[in-house]
Amino acid sequence: MQKEERLTIEEGLCKTGIEQLDIMLGGGIPTGSTVLVVGSSGSGKTTLCMQFLINGAIQGERGVFFTITEPLFKLTKNMEGFNFYDKKLIESGMLNLIDLRIISERLGLDTEKYTVEDASALLDILRDIAEELNVKRLVIDSITALCYRLQTPEMIRDFIFKLGSSLAAMKCTTLLTSEVPPMTFKYSQYGIEEFISDGIMFLGDFERKGDLIRTFQLVKMRGAAHSRTKSAMSITAKNGVELAPLLKSRE
Amino acid sequence: MPNVLIDGLKERISNAIKVNQSIGILLPGSNYYDLLQALFEHIQVNSSDAWVYVTVSKPYDTLIKQYDYISEAKNVKFIDCISRAAGILRTDDNCIYLESPTMLEILGLEIMNTFREIDENTDKYLVIDSLSNLIIYNDADIVTEFFYHIVNRTRAKDIHTISLAIEEEGLEKHLNRLIYLNDKILKVRDSFI
Repeated sequence: MQKEERLTIEEGLCKTGIEQLDIMLGGGIPTGSTVLVVGSSGSGKTTLCMQFLINGAIQGERGVFFTITEPLFKLTKNMEGFNFYDKKLIESGMLNLIDLRIISERLGLDTEKYTVEDASALLDILRDIAEELNVKRLVIDSITALCYRLQTPEMIRDFIFKLGSSLAAMKCTTLLTSEVPPMTFKYSQYGIEEFISDGIMFLGDFERKGDLIRTFQLVKMRGAAHSRTKSAMSITAKNGVELAPLLKSRE
Repeated sequence: MPNVLIDGLKERISNAIKVNQSIGILLPGSNYYDLLQALFEHIQVNSSDAWVYVTVSKPYDTLIKQYDYISEAKNVKFIDCISRAAGILRTDDNCIYLESPTMLEILGLEIMNTFREIDENTDKYLVIDSLSNLIIYNDADIVTEFFYHIVNRTRAKDIHTISLAIEEEGLEKHLNRLIYLNDKILKVRDSFI
């Protein structure tokens, strides 16, 4: 392969900065993709997404984290426990944390249920913020909580599709967290989110001798020759999210 | 008075790891403490080498109480697989506490992460104490798979592995399968090797 061609390919990839995950992805997430990060409560979705944003910010790619599930003070307090978290990235504007509920309130939207017009206004705001800040990485935590406010499957489909298309045009890579009940093998609450997404990362767990082992699986990633092997996932204060090959012998 | 058995063990360990990437030590329970002493003295004396000691047999606290000189050695890091599971909550900069000895993948990660922080030109050694105790907490098949992975990954990084296996009734079949994954086997028999 020519050097020039190789560079072009590498430029088209958005490195997560999580070494094993980037290897599984074949280098990184194809730039501009919308990826669903699926898992039950406590599976590590928020940590993985935040690490993705912070690693990007360190590489000079501005990111924004939209939360709809937990207040910002709680989010930052949790993140302060991780070595990868750097407050300076927020102060410098490389990492932006935004509470979507506050935006909704300011827009005068009903925070519990959105009409078609509300959804459209919110979409415009998300796009405007992404454009204004020139973000290359975006996270919505969670798309499930957002979809809960969108009242029909059509609205959900339309919202995710439009959001994904406009962010892709900006070469912005997006992670949407999707909440599912524990010990279930489904990708979303509404059954629509996965079809609109370019990629699916599934964060699960299984029991070994009474202990819960976290797992990670890359189910889908359009445009990437990716691994589908299930990995064990570790979350530590020192290294954040790490992946290791899952031992196949099962008890 | 010098202990002939401990000196003999030290010599055999020292000679074996010079030429082999991984050695397995099969020993009766009655010689366990002699072997620990030989190993810790070897670690202390060879202070320019870097060691990672995985304990599944004794909590880190117990080890450093019994062999207090090893807590001051700067060339060894411990990974304690059993304290947390036993409800002992302690932190120590020299020890990584694993949630449970069943989390073998995480153990593998912690071992490799610890070695990653060590200078490339340093001779590196891993001790697994012990395979027989890992089998107490896990099924034998998964311990075999874990050990196979570890031996291969450490070999690829030029890390020498010393794995202990304490002979126990009913475990012979599993231990033999495990221990023979090593390049060399040392068998300790009460008063000789």
